[in-house]
Amino acid sequence: MMDVIQQLREQAKKLLEEKKVTLVIGFGQGTELARTTPVFIDSPEGVSALTWGPFCANNLAKYLTDYKNAEGNVAVVVKGCDARSVIRLLDDNQISRDKVVVIGVPCPGQLEWQKVAAEVKPGASLKETADNGESFSVKTDAGDYSFNKKDYMLHRCLVCENPNPVISDITIGKELPVKTYEERFAEVSELEQKSTEDKSAYWDKQFSRCLRCYACRNVCSVCTCQICVFDQMLPMWVSKRTNLSENTMFHITRAFHVAGRCVDCGECDRVCPMDIPLRKLNQKIHKDLGDLFDSPTPGSKPGIPSALGEFSPGDPEEFM
Amino acid sequence: MLKRLLEYVGFEPGRFQARWISGSEGAKFTTTIKDMTEKIKSLGPNKKMRDDIV
Repeated sequence: MMDVIQQLREQAKKLLEEKKVTLVIGFGQGTELARTTPVFIDSPEGVSALTWGPFCANNLAKYLTDYKNAEGNVAVVVKGCDARSVIRLLDDNQISRDKVVVIGVPCPGQLEWQKVAAEVKPGASLKETADNGESFSVKTDAGDYSFNKKDYMLHRCLVCENPNPVISDITIGKELPVKTYEERFAEVSELEQKSTEDKSAYWDKQFSRCLRCYACRNVCSVCTCQICVFDQMLPMWVSKRTNLSENTMFHITRAFHVAGRCVDCGECDRVCPMDIPLRKLNQKIHKDLGDLFDSPTPGSKPGIPSALGEFSPGDPEEFM
Repeated sequence: MLKRLLEYVGFEPGRFQARWISGSEGAKFTTTIKDMTEKIKSLGPNKKMRDDIV
């Protein structure tokens, strides 16, 4: 992936030098081997901080809304899934197309950092990563490792719809074929089949762990409300008490608030400190949107109408 | 959509119902309410999202 990193840095440098953008948002090496951190680069000298590899799970499109009123243009590095967020933000009029330069990088999949960190010698520093099709090789100063994609990737990458960015001004690296390891809604279907009591028990167990840290909301690229319902005190739509009942209310509301706009980037699920499978809620909505409205994943193409945002005479009317 | 989501997180089917009834459809209103009351009575008290459950 060294060539991708090299090209990424060159393109970022060019954009900054030619003053086409004032800021480049990309991935930089984190303090641990298997982690990256978002980097915000405003000078051509800073581009050496940019990196790319199988540890770039963050959806950087989230930051675009922070700069929507900034004077200069912003370039952002996106993977296939993050590109859907960019389209969704554009369709929601949250950002303007002429102020954003999308640097798309076809993504070979992202590894779950905890799983990698458990294998790699602590304190080792990263030398190089490479995509070998079915696995990633990770070279460190404490030896070389190989990580099988099927076992070490994030679940969302196992069911990836588009590794190639659906919107991009500058594409870096070769386009990749779509490769999935399991049925997209397999987990949701399995849970749907269970009895009401079992489903209730399953979710009670998940929701009762919630700390109400709101990381899932803060990381969500389509959570763009200036004032969030969960922050409002008057009226207080959802109480701030952390108990099962209020947590259930919070999670149903959060999932439903992004219904029809959620691009299935899986960031809520990834950032949850309590490992609540939040994506299973959002995926249920995606599955129903597909079944009832024949709606593709939001953001997968520019300008697709939001299934819940408009009426068509052919819509199912179960409530009549 | 919401009905499906609620049933997915463990609410009984029929606990949440939605009907479109126009102002001129008195008969539909009565039958709907009767059916709804019967359904809810058969389900018994709601066990989820209650203030007394912590």
